[in-house]
Amino acid sequence: MILAISPKPAAAAGLGEMTFDNKIESMKKAGVGPVIFSHTTHENTIKCAECHPDIFIEKRGANDMSMKKNMDGEHCGACHDSTVAFPMYQCSKCHTQVGAAK
Amino acid sequence: MKPTTYKYLIFLFCVTAIVAFTTTWQIKEAQAAGAKPTLDPSDPKSSLYLDSRGKLAGTGSSSKPVSEAFKAGQGWHPQALQSEGLPKDRYGLVDWAKLVNDGSIEPLHSLDEDEDELPPLDVDVVIHSKGDYVKDVKYPHQIHTYWLSCENCHPAIFEMGAGANPISMVEIAEGKWCGRCHGKVAFPLADCNRCHTIPKKAKR
Ligand code: HEC
Ligand code: HEC
Ligand code: HEC
Ligand code: HEC
Ligand code: HEC
Ligand code: HEC
Repeated sequence: MILAISPKPAAAAGLGEMTFDNKIESMKKAGVGPVIFSHTTHENTIKCAECHPDIFIEKRGANDMSMKKNMDGEHCGACHDSTVAFPMYQCSKCHTQVGAAK
Repeated sequence: MKPTTYKYLIFLFCVTAIVAFTTTWQIKEAQAAGAKPTLDPSDPKSSLYLDSRGKLAGTGSSSKPVSEAFKAGQGWHPQALQSEGLPKDRYGLVDWAKLVNDGSIEPLHSLDEDEDELPPLDVDVVIHSKGDYVKDVKYPHQIHTYWLSCENCHPAIFEMGAGANPISMVEIAEGKWCGRCHGKVAFPLADCNRCHTIPKKAKR
């Protein structure tokens, strides 16, 4: 209800592209680089309430994301499981520098 | 058989024949009237899926991702298989591994009766995933050697030795290693945790 009457602050705030690299050490070992997440693309097609606050806390860095949790169906994995959106084995759709170091 | 049974059978036959005739006639009629046939067998996007009784089970391209095909009510397997109460994975595909493990099916090991059957090799190999969080992989020889012979994998795809291969998930996703089969003839790669089963100890 609150969501329905509130304006769209994020769209105006222009969160744009976010880079996630908290787990960069682990990513390097697997041969992938930081994740680029386009908040704009997602908020344009998906309602805020689909993600906030159930899947993601609405604060940069407040979500302890990892590939393991994605694979357990949390965070990005809640949708990117080949039923709602593209599956997670397409590493290079989210990660940069895929296959750089092995 | 009693004469009444014969009468019944003849009656049934007549009914079927009439139904078949009327349907064919109706289709012909529709085509003659210039109505566009909705299904074009020469167009791959318009493949027909028949069930075991030869009835139309669905239409569409088989090259689409499973999810899309499944959403549209189709499957890779004939509808008949889908409805036989076979166990399914989360993508609606028949779970062949479960069928074997539960002893529901017992396929012939070879079409050649004289060929010796090797019992499946009951050796699991733990393949450590790189990184600090993602669960390790238990590779089961058992289910693979049930369906496949050693030569399918050794040495063409994998050297025979734990840790002897420079496997990586990035390459698997590119269709190498386990990706030679998974996502093609075996359960799809999207089902991550069917391979990633062993949690990393210290961290989570
Ligand atoms: C697809 C899921 C998704 C949708 C839909 C979505 N967001 Fe987000 N949002 C995120 C993620 C992921 C983050 C980053 C969280 C993090 O850094 O841990 C985020 C962060 C935020 C932040 C915090 C920014 C900061 O600098 O701290 C705000 C505010 C926000 N979103 C508002 C919105 C609003 C408003 C909408 C609807 C117009 C929306 N979001 C739709 C996923 C989404
Ligand atoms: C609420 C569902 C949902 C969540 C959660 C979600 N996504 Fe998406 N995402 C989608 C949908 C729907 C699309 C568009 C359909 C597609 O590309 O398969 C998409 C598309 C994308 C794309 C392609 C965008 C483009 O511009 O082509 C990327 C990259 C992506 N998501 C990354 C992420 C990452 C990283 C996360 C986690 C931080 C995430 N998504 C979480 C639903 C979601
Ligand atoms: C839907 C988007 C998405 C896809 C696809 C994806 N990842 Fe990730 N991955 C993430 C996000 C988000 C994080 C967490 C980033 C952070 O906060 O540091 C992450 C973190 C990681 C990490 C570090 C954390 C950990 O759990 O070890 C590794 C390694 C990793 N990904 C590997 C992969 C590989 C390999 C693939 C392809 C099989 C892949 N990722 C596909 C979104 C994705
Ligand atoms: C589907 C592919 C596949 C088939 C079929 C297969 N293997 Fe393997 N085998 C593997 C993989 C994967 C490994 C682990 C390699 C690694 O860790 O790098 C392995 C490892 C081994 C090892 C080493 C185990 C260890 O602990 O060092 C032996 C021995 C072996 N296989 C024997 C066989 C025999 C005998 C057969 C036939 C009965 C067979 N394999 C069939 C994939 C297969
Ligand atoms: C030569 C083809 C082939 C290769 C290579 C292969 N697999 Fe398989 N795998 C199969 C088949 C066929 C099945 C059984 C049918 C099914 O479950 O879809 C199977 C089943 C499995 C199962 C059993 C799933 C269950 O529910 O019991 C696991 C786990 C598995 N594979 C892991 C792996 C891993 C890990 C690798 C790489 C190290 C690998 N496979 C390589 C063909 C292959
Ligand atoms: C057919 C089995 C199989 C499936 C399904 C599978 N993986 Fe893997 N994965 C492996 C194996 C084997 C390794 C270990 C590779 C190695 O030796 O480093 C691995 C390793 C990883 C790693 C660590 C990086 C690395 O190269 O070791 C990540 C991250 C990963 N997988 C993510 C995923 C994600 C995400 C999915 C689902 C989209 C997935 N995996 C599905 C077999 C599988």
